[in-house]
Amino acid sequence: MDISQTAERISVRFSQKGQDVDKKKIEAKLRRLIDEFGVQPAEAERSVTNELAKELNLPGFGTSAGISGSAGVKEGCSISEIAPGEWVTIEGKVVGILSPPSPAIAQSGIIADSTGAIRFVAWAKANAPKMAEGSWYRIESAVVDEYKGVANLKIHSGTAIKPIIEDQALIPSILKIGDLKPGIGSVRAKVVQEWETTHERMLQSGVLGDESGTIKFIIWKEAGKDKLAVGSVYTIYYAQVDEFNGRLSLNLTTASYMKDEGDIAVSGGDAEIRGTIIHMAPGSGLIKRCPVDGCNRALSRQNYCPVHEIQPKFVYDLRIKGWLDDGKKTYNLLLQRDVVESLTGITLDAAKELAENNPLGMDEVFLRMRDAVLGRYVACKGREIDNRLLVRACERLKVEPGDHTALLNRAGGVA
Amino acid sequence: MSNGGTPASVRKEGGFEREPARRVFSSELRECKYQFREGDDEKSPTFVLLPTGERCNRIFLIGTLTEKQRQGDQNIFYRGRIVDPTGTFYVMAGSYQPEAMQQLAKIETPAFVAVVGKPNLYQKPDGAYTVSVRVESITVVDRETRDLWVLDAARSTLDRIEALIAGTSPDAARIKEHYPSIDPVSFRKMAYEALAQIKI
Repeated sequence: MDISQTAERISVRFSQKGQDVDKKKIEAKLRRLIDEFGVQPAEAERSVTNELAKELNLPGFGTSAGISGSAGVKEGCSISEIAPGEWVTIEGKVVGILSPPSPAIAQSGIIADSTGAIRFVAWAKANAPKMAEGSWYRIESAVVDEYKGVANLKIHSGTAIKPIIEDQALIPSILKIGDLKPGIGSVRAKVVQEWETTHERMLQSGVLGDESGTIKFIIWKEAGKDKLAVGSVYTIYYAQVDEFNGRLSLNLTTASYMKDEGDIAVSGGDAEIRGTIIHMAPGSGLIKRCPVDGCNRALSRQNYCPVHEIQPKFVYDLRIKGWLDDGKKTYNLLLQRDVVESLTGITLDAAKELAENNPLGMDEVFLRMRDAVLGRYVACKGREIDNRLLVRACERLKVEPGDHTALLNRAGGVA
Repeated sequence: MSNGGTPASVRKEGGFEREPARRVFSSELRECKYQFREGDDEKSPTFVLLPTGERCNRIFLIGTLTEKQRQGDQNIFYRGRIVDPTGTFYVMAGSYQPEAMQQLAKIETPAFVAVVGKPNLYQKPDGAYTVSVRVESITVVDRETRDLWVLDAARSTLDRIEALIAGTSPDAARIKEHYPSIDPVSFRKMAYEALAQIKI
């Protein structure tokens, strides 16, 4: 990068604020950082801009990283047009508030206008007035940056927030799950599956689906948040679409959701994988579940539920967690009670009896089931989500004489 | 957002993916002479390169356990010989695989067994290579499951040969370099003979 060009850019930004800064001085500062101290040019630009802003008492000017090239604040732009690196003034309605994850953040949430929605973060240092959910605001000179690949509006000490009167009903456009992109999205979807929560702050996690596909969802515990009912259809406004390892997930903590009439034919529910069960994981076999209404978590050996503590009046259940391998790919397998019973030939009652009359207790059930399923060829039908197979039916494979002949012909063709 | 990178690193990005268990006949596994590691991480997987052109970090095999032997004084471990229609697999389970070792200790020979394990390549003092399979799990199975495996292993072997001939095998270049004298097509005959041995 040409240093004098960078210096020019910085001086233009300051002159737009009505401050004339000596270009030579800027250039000298840049040179010192870049040539003497080996600072990256972009970082040098940022640090010189910040230094001058401080000197000239222009609070909030140039605090963001990666602002190079943007000059001035974009006035009155619609939220859908915002791009990382810009300084913007927007008007919108706060549609969701999150409890701040760190004391450095005063408030975070989601602000929307008729074109779209964006996540915002107000730093504690910014001393910005708290915004209220459901109200409209004009936010002047906020910085757009990127956090985890998603545009994010940063409210800093130079940002002005003014409440405005606006009586516009916002109707977010509903997307198909298959069309979601990282950011904020609204969907109409059916709750396909609920998973055991793995963290005490987690209210619920599971899978949502519509005609176009399925997506993992999560709701963190916040006041006034309700769980979704499995099997019901919901309209969900302003959920955060996060990306992790190339896979999307929906965070409903900021979203508003309403139960809907009707049903959705969810796609992807009819995968069939043929392979062998090559591993049966601990936690398979006869397990105890928490009896508290709506909990149903698996208990530890000491009858401890991660949420409801010791539960001596547990409920017994059967399940198998394991790996299904077809030689090309390994899937995580989850078999529910009825599938376990038909595959192993051990019913829940028989398993209970085994556990009660055997010195090994529940381990005996595990070992018998392991001996019955490990290394066996099976066809599993069910729903496939991210290598995870939720099995509806699982059958032992049989030798097909036709396969044998076909393979002999294939192998013998050139021999 | 989209993960760039070299083909080698693409395997690792996109999240955690378990290495699948390859199906391979013993007489192909016996021909392996090259083992490599992808990445410098301590936990990077080690692969044995199959002469038909696929890397394997884990294998799944079914055969007849014909012999087992307890060895070692301080560190007890078990060795076993498992026979498939093409030859013999050498397997072992030590105190680092206590469950597998106990299972192996319990099984009476002869028996059809299904084994999931990791292949390891060793060079003997005379320079020859042997492959032994460190057992992760071993279970007694029935004849039909064994037959299913022979079909499965034959199909996988033929698939690998075809991918190698078509040039779509990801490790084709490594095969040329490390197995210059092996004709992959010879394994087609091996698969044929294996299939011909089972009566259905």
